[in-house]
Amino acid sequence: MSKVAPAGSGYQTAGEWAPRIVAFTCNWCSYSGADMAGTARLTYPANVRIVRMLCSGRMDPLFALKAFEEGADGVLVSGCHPGDCHYVQGNLYARRRLEIFADLMELLGLDPRRLHFAWVSASEGVKWSELIGRVTRSVLEAGPNGEWLSAPTAEFSSAKLPEPGPPPRTAPTRDANAATTSHLRQLARRLLEEGEVSRVIGYAEGAQSDQMVPAFVETPEDAERLVWNERCYANLANYAVHRSGGATALIAKTCDAKSIAGLLRENQLRRDEVVVVGVSCSGIWHGDRLAAKCYGCDEDVSPLADWTVGPDGTARGSIPAAGRDTSPDPRDAALEALSSLPPDERLAFWQGEFDRCIRCYACRAVCPMCYCDTCITDKHRPQWISAPQSGPGNTSWNVVRAMHLAGRCSDCDECARVCPSGIRLDLINRSLAQGIKRKYGTMVSADPAVKTALTTYRPDDAGRFV
Amino acid sequence: MSRIGVFVCHCGENIARTVDVESVCGAARDLPGVAHVSDYPFMCSSPGQKLVKQAIRTHNLTGVVVAACSPHMHETTFRGAVAEGGLNPFLCEIANIREQCSWVHTDPAEATAKASEIVEQMVAKVRFDTELQPIEVPVTRRALVVGGGIAGIRSALDIAKAGYSVTLVEREPSLGGNMARLSETFPTLDCSQCILTPLMVEVSHHPNIELLTYSEVEGISGYVGNFNVRIRRKARFVLEDCTGCDDCARACPVATPNDFDMGLSWRKAVYIPFPQAVPAIYTLDTGACVNAELESANGRYRVLACERCSLACAPGVIDYDMRPEILEREVGVVVLATGYKLWDASQAPEYGYGRYPDVVNGLEFERLLSASGPTFGELRRPSDGKVPKSVVFIQCVGSRDPEHGVAYCSRTCCMYTAKHALLYKHKVPDGKAYVFYIDIRAAGKGYEEFINRVMMEDEVLYLRGRVGRVVREGDRMVVYGADTLSGQSVQIDAEMVVLATAMVPAAEESFGRMVRASTDQYGFFQEIHPKLRPVETMTAGVLLAGAAQGPKDIPDTVAQASAAASKALEILAQPVFEREPTVARVNESVCIGCLDCQRVCPYGAIDVVDVTARGTTPAKAVARVNEAMCEGCGICTSVCRSRAIDIAGFDDEQVFAQITAVANPSMPVTEALAARGGAR
Repeated sequence: MSKVAPAGSGYQTAGEWAPRIVAFTCNWCSYSGADMAGTARLTYPANVRIVRMLCSGRMDPLFALKAFEEGADGVLVSGCHPGDCHYVQGNLYARRRLEIFADLMELLGLDPRRLHFAWVSASEGVKWSELIGRVTRSVLEAGPNGEWLSAPTAEFSSAKLPEPGPPPRTAPTRDANAATTSHLRQLARRLLEEGEVSRVIGYAEGAQSDQMVPAFVETPEDAERLVWNERCYANLANYAVHRSGGATALIAKTCDAKSIAGLLRENQLRRDEVVVVGVSCSGIWHGDRLAAKCYGCDEDVSPLADWTVGPDGTARGSIPAAGRDTSPDPRDAALEALSSLPPDERLAFWQGEFDRCIRCYACRAVCPMCYCDTCITDKHRPQWISAPQSGPGNTSWNVVRAMHLAGRCSDCDECARVCPSGIRLDLINRSLAQGIKRKYGTMVSADPAVKTALTTYRPDDAGRFV
Repeated sequence: MSRIGVFVCHCGENIARTVDVESVCGAARDLPGVAHVSDYPFMCSSPGQKLVKQAIRTHNLTGVVVAACSPHMHETTFRGAVAEGGLNPFLCEIANIREQCSWVHTDPAEATAKASEIVEQMVAKVRFDTELQPIEVPVTRRALVVGGGIAGIRSALDIAKAGYSVTLVEREPSLGGNMARLSETFPTLDCSQCILTPLMVEVSHHPNIELLTYSEVEGISGYVGNFNVRIRRKARFVLEDCTGCDDCARACPVATPNDFDMGLSWRKAVYIPFPQAVPAIYTLDTGACVNAELESANGRYRVLACERCSLACAPGVIDYDMRPEILEREVGVVVLATGYKLWDASQAPEYGYGRYPDVVNGLEFERLLSASGPTFGELRRPSDGKVPKSVVFIQCVGSRDPEHGVAYCSRTCCMYTAKHALLYKHKVPDGKAYVFYIDIRAAGKGYEEFINRVMMEDEVLYLRGRVGRVVREGDRMVVYGADTLSGQSVQIDAEMVVLATAMVPAAEESFGRMVRASTDQYGFFQEIHPKLRPVETMTAGVLLAGAAQGPKDIPDTVAQASAAASKALEILAQPVFEREPTVARVNESVCIGCLDCQRVCPYGAIDVVDVTARGTTPAKAVARVNEAMCEGCGICTSVCRSRAIDIAGFDDEQVFAQITAVANPSMPVTEALAARGGAR
């Protein structure tokens, strides 16, 4: 539904559509700057409504999303200039968070002319009035925000994303898998016998051939169930949270170990209740395809590992990765193809994706970093995400999920694997992670002491703020 | 059910000229929950406020929206009126239809429509307002001052004279700090000790001041109004009844470098740092004393190889068995006055500091000039006691040099170098003084005049440029430098070289962390706002005085120390300290304890507590906001994924209500305008 106001709405000349813009300002600089424009009797278009907060650091990107969902045609966020924040750092946190949000909106095909960020000080009445003029013109050019967040109006063309090429390496041999499995069983038995742990969480054969399922091994004899091969997809970190009654040994690939680090960092696990058993993994295979996340995996077996198990035996601590690989990640080619599309085609692509979302929240359930007792989706005072499985609610959910994992996602790709609708969540996660790496130089760390990208800042961070 | 009153102000003609107040009132009447609407030419006037108060009672209102000027102008006024009307003041919201509407738009139809929507927005918000009570923090009416230099002395005296108790902690055996080391002070050339020691004595005699010298703060916990301080009182092995007769020191066989004189003289193992020290109690330096302290299975004990000091002591106050004590104090505010030290000039090897005894730093030169110093005021150089006939002063050693030292200007060096050169010329009238400088920063009362006097009357040769290196040749040094004004390189034979080294913070980094005062990249304590709140730290109740916050001269230090005292008194003067209730609150049943809020909180206002919310076992760790420390910025809420934390008065529901209202207004004014034939 496009927002064409009836004649005489008073926004612009009668009969014309006029943009609605929601501005979020801090109380101290930008709100005062807007007051200053009034005191100086400067004039500017009447399309902006200000929501006053105490600090731009209070600005949750999801407020902007909500504004779009409610029908706003544009959003402006304005705070104190860096170094002038009344709360010292609030604007610097906001700059990072909103920058990543803007990246996400760009990926999803939101017209960048709708989203604006600025620093306006209390003395910059002139800047405020010019800014409002500029923002209003920009939103006017973008036109009514009809399509954003609504169900797709036309048959969206599935933009042909490039298929991954041949895998850069071959699947491990049966012999190597058997050797690793045997070392793993030995270690599990020993840990259980010596009482160092009261359970080992690993993989066992599932009901279907080639399907490995999580296994909870609690007795030394039961260790015989454990297996290791290239079908051990699951990120077992998810199962270690909130277990009482003794320590847990957790079998972890490098990507999984980053989740463990995240859970340690965020106090969902205690170091003394988890024994990390790293496996020297040479890649996970889906059918005859190497998992996309494994292409560029060039990291050591996690520095967190208490033990490392491989085909050659068992070692204390972590060991360097066997075969380092820097082959280009096929997701990057897909993202590149997406980013070369014009925004409206990107929008159509993602609307097609989100339209398939059935809101089963399997992505949430499988993600080790989605551990909240009460998810924001379940809140209704206020309701952040509308409940029906369509249009705005679907988009909001996927945006919220992506933002909550930005800077925290360990790239295990489990969400994309379990999605029954095959939504390309992997592309969203990958895109945000790459943006964070490019802008702030940080990746999700396997060191629990390292703060995530969005809970820190640098005074000289780049950003879209003007 | 909400019963909201909307009060639209004409502001004379300021609003009414562009905004059709009648239409705004009409539109407001149709809004859900609005029970009463009225307008008035000047709502902020006494009759206008009366209108609000009466309407609250008459119409039994549950919330008030005043459509008028900016909340920065009259929010306090109207909240006061609402409170007098019998409603909680936080149930009042301001719709800013002047600064952000009537003053910036010229088209009446546009302005009227926008004003109506702003009213609608604030009506939407006020429906979610809740009653908030000011946060009351009980205050312990005692201050802790850390550091007994001029900054700490001034702060302590100011607070004590206002009638409050002060605990002053100094880690050295005497009060005085660096100022006690100075010879004379610029630009007046007062004798430093002459103006300082009366204040030191005043501190020691003041009934409201508890003076703890030779003591260090070991830990601070708590928050504004309620700090717990642990102070380690080191053992000085001399009881407080010491008469200061000096018999012990004369008997002591050990000599060790005197750190008060920057190691340029000797003192005994039992000593007083300088004759005017306060308190005038001797201290036994166990590091120098021949009586070793040993540890055995039965504890620590002292091997008494020498008891000469004890034997010489007539009052018998030497106690070899003294132990360090831990004292605990409850205080309401903390003033950090930990001062500065000099940058180690041996990090700039080209100047030869540390290699050549006659290359000295500013404080060493002060001692050489001082009447109480190692040479009793006669300027003699350290190596051979000769009176130097030429002295080269080098400014900006370490300062303004991000490559080797620090990037900032140390602010005092231009002035004290000029003073050094002047004092030198007065003591050695036939001597030659050269000053290498980058530029002269003499911004202070009488400072520029002082510099000019030194240049003109005292014939000190100022050379603009840097020194490349200092090389010893025989018993003198050759200073290779550049004179950028003449564009020539210069070589000067110097019998002594004085380095104006940078001021760096004296407090260890760990001390800053312990007191939760954040520091800048150099270790100086960070003020909360460089212009508007220059003596407060991010931790409420922790204040800054003197060079601990950044390089300062004595007048600035004293001014800031008094400012810190006045901020301290602001808290101490009331038995209960009231704070705005717009702070963060945690819903403990939702909080999962990831503590991202704690990571981003600039104020350290978030603690972790174990709770058994809804019977969870084992207890889960959750965040809890210390309302005495929270400033309400809301950075924590925007990182909280489960929205367990929210800001009272600016909470998610209030923001959502506003977003919904402004993004999708009911637009009753449109109809009103259409009925009248469109935009007028």
